[in-house]
Amino acid sequence: MRKGEFIALVAALGAVVRVTALEIQLPAETARLIESPLPGYALATGMCYTCHSVDYFKMQPTSARAYWQATVTKMQKTFAAPVPDEAIAPIVDYLVKTYGAEKSTAPKPGS
Amino acid sequence: MLATGAALGGPLSRLLGAADTVLMPFENGERDLVAYPQKRPLIRMTARPPQLETPFAVFNEGLLTPNDAFFVRYHLSDIPTSVDPGAFRLKIHGKVATPLTLSLDDIKKLAPPVEVVAVNQCSGNSRGFFKPRVNGGQLGHGAMGNARWTGVAVKTILEKAGLAKEARQVAFNGLDKPPLPGTPDFVKALDVDHALDGEVMLAWAMNGEDLPMLNGYPLRLVVPGYYGTYWVKHVDDIEVLDSVFTGFWMSAAYRTPDTPGRSVAPGTTAKKTEPIQRFTIRSFITSLTDQATVTVGRETVVRGIAFDSGQGIREVAFSSDGGRTWRAANLGEDLGRYSFREWKIAFTPTQRGSHTLMARALNRIGESQPLEPLWNPAGYLRNVVETVHVEAV
Repeated sequence: MRKGEFIALVAALGAVVRVTALEIQLPAETARLIESPLPGYALATGMCYTCHSVDYFKMQPTSARAYWQATVTKMQKTFAAPVPDEAIAPIVDYLVKTYGAEKSTAPKPGS
Repeated sequence: MLATGAALGGPLSRLLGAADTVLMPFENGERDLVAYPQKRPLIRMTARPPQLETPFAVFNEGLLTPNDAFFVRYHLSDIPTSVDPGAFRLKIHGKVATPLTLSLDDIKKLAPPVEVVAVNQCSGNSRGFFKPRVNGGQLGHGAMGNARWTGVAVKTILEKAGLAKEARQVAFNGLDKPPLPGTPDFVKALDVDHALDGEVMLAWAMNGEDLPMLNGYPLRLVVPGYYGTYWVKHVDDIEVLDSVFTGFWMSAAYRTPDTPGRSVAPGTTAKKTEPIQRFTIRSFITSLTDQATVTVGRETVVRGIAFDSGQGIREVAFSSDGGRTWRAANLGEDLGRYSFREWKIAFTPTQRGSHTLMARALNRIGESQPLEPLWNPAGYLRNVVETVHVEAV
C-alpha cells in the first residue's frame, strides 16, 4: 500500500488512532506541613502524606477545633487511614493551633 | 485575582526558581500556577491528587474551553499516569443479558459517534465565595469548562448488553483508585432512565482531540446538565444494579439539602439530603475584572457567558447600577442548550467613580439567579448574581 492510500484509509476510518500508551509525569508536590514543637507535628508528618498532599490545610478558612476534629476522624473512620485513636487528639491540636482558629495570629472564625 | 509572579516578570521569576502565584480574593487564597502534563499553567489547589482550576481570564477567550486549560478534579490519589489504548478494556456487567468486554476500537465502532457541546462544572465551583465560609476545596469560579464532547451514547452500550427487567441504577467506575484498600473507591451511579436518555455518553474526545489524561483519557462519562461529580473519568467498568447504589460517594458525599432551593439557613444542616443533581443557572461578566478601569463617555462592550442545566438561556439582563435598573444583553451564537452562551452589551459610564456591574440569566422555564446567595453546608450550587466593581475615570 502506498503512503497516500494509507492516509486515505486512516481518514476513512475516521481518526488517527493512538497506538502507543499515553504516559504523563506529574510535577513535584511542594506543600509541606508547617513545623511545630507540638507532638502532633511528627504524627501528622508520618500519616497525612500517606494518601494526599497537604495543600488543603493552609487554604481552609479559619476553622474551629470541631472542624479539624471531624476531618481527622473522617480520615480514620471513613477513608480507613491507619490513624491510631491515641494519635487523633495531638494531630487535631497541632492542626488547629497551626492552621486553624487557635493559631496565634488567627482571625476570628467566620470573618 | 493578582498574578504576583507575573508581576515580577513570569519568565524571570521562573528562572529564579519562584513559582508564579495568584491570590484568590478570599482568606488563605494564595495559589501556585503550575503546568501539568498536557496543560498550560493552571491554579493548583492540590498536588496529590491533582486539582487544578482554570484562570478566569480563559473564559473571555472563547466559548469552548481549550483542553490545556480545562479544570482537573480528582478525589483519590492513585490516579492513572499511563494508559495503553490498545490494551484498555471497558467491562459492562451486572443485571444485563450479555456481559461485555469492549476495546476502544469496539466502542468507537458501536455506532456513529454522537457529539454535544456541554459545560462541566464542579459541584463546589465558587465555594471560596460562600458566606459564611464553608470547608472543602476553596475554589474561585474556575472549576468549570465548556467543551465539544464526542463519543458513544451510554444507551447504545446498555442496549447492546441488554438490560435485565429489574435494572434500576447504573454504576460507573474508572481507573483512578483509592490509595488504601479500605478507602471508598470513587464510583457514581445514575438511574437507568437517565443512563438511557441518549444524552449521557462515554466520550473519547473533547474539542476534537483525545481527552487529556487528567480529564479522563481514554473514556469519560459526560452527563449534560449535571454536576461534574457524575462525569467519571477513565471509565473502565459499568455495572447495572437492581437496587440503589449505596457507595460512599453517592450515599454520604455530594448531597444537598432536600429543601426548596436546596438551601438551609447559614450555619445549619438539613434533616434530609439527596444526591446533587442538575446545575443551577449562572452568568458571569468575563470581559471586565473587579477594579478594572473604564472611561467616562466612552462605550465599553461588556461580554460574558451564561449557562444552565440544559433548559436553554432565554435572556441575560445587565445592570450597571448595582441592580436598580436592568437592560437585556444580546445573546451570541447558540452552540446548544448545554453550552456556555455568550452575551454582550454596550455600557457607557456617564459619571466618574465606582460602578457596580451585574449579570442575571433567565432560562426557558423561568429559572433565574437569586440576588441574595443561597447557602448549604457543603458549598455547592452557587448561583447568586455575581458583581464586578469597575472604576470610571
